[in-house]
Amino acid sequence: MQNALVPVKTTESTHNELIQLVSFNLDQEEYGVDVLKVREIIRMPIVTRVPNTPHYVEGVINLRGKVVPIICMRKKFGLFQVENDKQTRIMVMDMEGELMGFIVDAVSEVIRISGSEIQPSPAMVAGGIDQECIAGVINQAERLLVLLNLEKMFSRDERNLFTGM
Amino acid sequence: MPPIDCEDQELLDGFLTETTELLEKLDDDLVALEKSSDDTDLMNRIFRSIHTIKGASSFLGFDLLVKVAHKTEDVLNRLRKKELFVTSEIMDVILEATDLVKLLVADIKAGDIQERETEGTIAKLLPLLTEAPPPPPVTVKEPEVAPEAAAVAASESSPVEPISPEQPSVTGTATPTPSPAAPVASQMPVAKPAAPAVSKKTAPPKSVESKGGEDLSDNSTVRVDVKRLDDLMNQVGELVLERNRMIQINQDLQQNNVNRNDFNEEFGKLTKRMSFVTSELQMQVLKMRMIPVEKVFKKFPRIVRSMSRDLGKEVDLQIIGEETELDRSVVDEIGDPLIHLIRNAMDHGLESPEERLAAGKSRCGTLVLAAVHEGNQIIISIKDDGRGIDTERVGRKAIEKGLISEEQFASMGQREVFDLLFLPGFSTKDKTTDLSGRGVGMDVVKTNIKKLNGLIEIKSVKDMGSEFILRLPLTLAIIQSLLVEVEGEVYSIPLSSVLETLRVDQRKFHLIGGQEVLKLRDIVLPLVRLQKVFNVQPRGDADHFCYVVVVGAAEKRMGLVVTRLVGQQEVAIKSLGNYLANIPGIAGSTILGDGRVALIIDPVAMSESCE
Repeated sequence: MQNALVPVKTTESTHNELIQLVSFNLDQEEYGVDVLKVREIIRMPIVTRVPNTPHYVEGVINLRGKVVPIICMRKKFGLFQVENDKQTRIMVMDMEGELMGFIVDAVSEVIRISGSEIQPSPAMVAGGIDQECIAGVINQAERLLVLLNLEKMFSRDERNLFTGM
Repeated sequence: MPPIDCEDQELLDGFLTETTELLEKLDDDLVALEKSSDDTDLMNRIFRSIHTIKGASSFLGFDLLVKVAHKTEDVLNRLRKKELFVTSEIMDVILEATDLVKLLVADIKAGDIQERETEGTIAKLLPLLTEAPPPPPVTVKEPEVAPEAAAVAASESSPVEPISPEQPSVTGTATPTPSPAAPVASQMPVAKPAAPAVSKKTAPPKSVESKGGEDLSDNSTVRVDVKRLDDLMNQVGELVLERNRMIQINQDLQQNNVNRNDFNEEFGKLTKRMSFVTSELQMQVLKMRMIPVEKVFKKFPRIVRSMSRDLGKEVDLQIIGEETELDRSVVDEIGDPLIHLIRNAMDHGLESPEERLAAGKSRCGTLVLAAVHEGNQIIISIKDDGRGIDTERVGRKAIEKGLISEEQFASMGQREVFDLLFLPGFSTKDKTTDLSGRGVGMDVVKTNIKKLNGLIEIKSVKDMGSEFILRLPLTLAIIQSLLVEVEGEVYSIPLSSVLETLRVDQRKFHLIGGQEVLKLRDIVLPLVRLQKVFNVQPRGDADHFCYVVVVGAAEKRMGLVVTRLVGQQEVAIKSLGNYLANIPGIAGSTILGDGRVALIIDPVAMSESCE
């Protein structure tokens, strides 16, 4: 796994390095994650519900013989629910060695940006998105892209899950 | 500190594997030798083992190891030539030397060689070499002990604190080494637990046994019978043929060469053969993962020997069915619980020779360790003919410790009282000793057996003895499971924990203190509604009839209420990953024939949640 060698891009460490991001949509907004973390992008399969988990855990799926937990991003970020449609995708990501799937409205493209384009996120962020997992904002001519660091969002929740249940 | 001056890693690995195997066997043989000292074959085998270890280590340049092994070999050689006779004192020293060899090998394996204190042990071996050939063994006992290092004799007479007579001999001979035992121990963090054991060897031989023994057993590589490998190759060959057949059928179908009936027939045949080959293959691979339970059992004679000497009890350990095979993962887990159970039997169960004679039993107690296959399970039992479990005393202790109330105890049956033994912190001992009394042992047993989805049963008759029966699944990777439906959702219950299933009218449920129960023959079974525990949305049409799956977890029994039984299926266990690892009541997941994921219920966690 060569991506294990690439450290998580933070606003401090990257200057003019070229970074590739996978951009996806969630409730009109566009987000991006490091392409090296994304293992694959699949359509919605049958999801098996797992009882007694946080509400945003949609369940588990069978990904070619591997059981992968699925997180609903809308629920996680406190956005209102919509029906899954033809555009709905699961982004299977490598989270510290383990696979995990995230349901998003649509996946659009892979974009290249240089590290210097990443700006720190504005102090005030509305909605339920955890401040911690926003690694920065990319402000290009006609688009605004929120760069997410999902691993960060997760380790905090994981702690809650282990101690709170 | 001599570095490992061995450049060839492969050579080193080979040496370690071989030595570990030899050492494991050696322990067993040495204890056997004590019992039948005339067995020349046995004697020669022991001698060869230690000789091989010496030879290999000198070739690789492990000087310390050579020194210890060499002296041990010399003593064994004299035994072999009948210049010395086997006594338990000599065996003590030889076993001590073997332990030291184990420790040194463990160091080499860990890749960090320590300057170990070896002089003490070697000093004990030396007098055995210079001693004059003693007269016949009947009179030999006295003269032989006398010239020997006083330490051994002293530790014999005072088994309670064998450390003190030992200590002077260690420090006395260790003067050339600048650092005494204590600083050495502090500067080796890796081997720390084992380190103190070197300087006070006779005191806790069991700690060396349990620690050193496990470090040595190498479970990262497997030795597989060539025949099994050949069988496997055959199976794979058949699988390839079936695949070719499948490709052929598919091609025919694509090119519309076949009519529907032919295709159906062909495809049906193919499916049958495929399923046959696959299940054969599964069995083969499963077999390769199996190792005889002997691997765990063979360290027990040694433990029992040293414990019986420490406790001043006479024990005859009988081992039955050591060739019984079970999965590696299970073997790894049962070692600890078995040690605790044996310790309990030795310490609590068996009486001292005087007590036994007074009770009209033979002087020597019997401890039977048996393993046997039963269907998809392995049953291991530890049986002693000691004093049995005193329910009255157990109950009183539990009340004393505030674990139960008087009234609770009054209403308890024998079963429930036995269950008290598993409570953490529970012990009938008033004083904590080296061996027991902390109330940890049975808790360890329970935890490990639970982890393996096993069951524990206790049978005990006062003054006649007790028997602990462990029922364990043969493997952990593929299990037989019962698929059940809960309001439309499918769950899987490990069949090893299922005792029976019943179809019952819900109106027959009783309510005791808010807990639903079912009267099943003569027992009152607590019920758990999976629909409630798992928050499944009810689907409306409530039926009076439902199914109850009676499951057992370690020592508990309860009923799981489900909507429908789907059937029995062999399933491969898949982990849910770290993130979802701690969901209460869920042990893992599996993939069903239609590709969907079904969750596997953990009866153990269920039983805890219904408490």
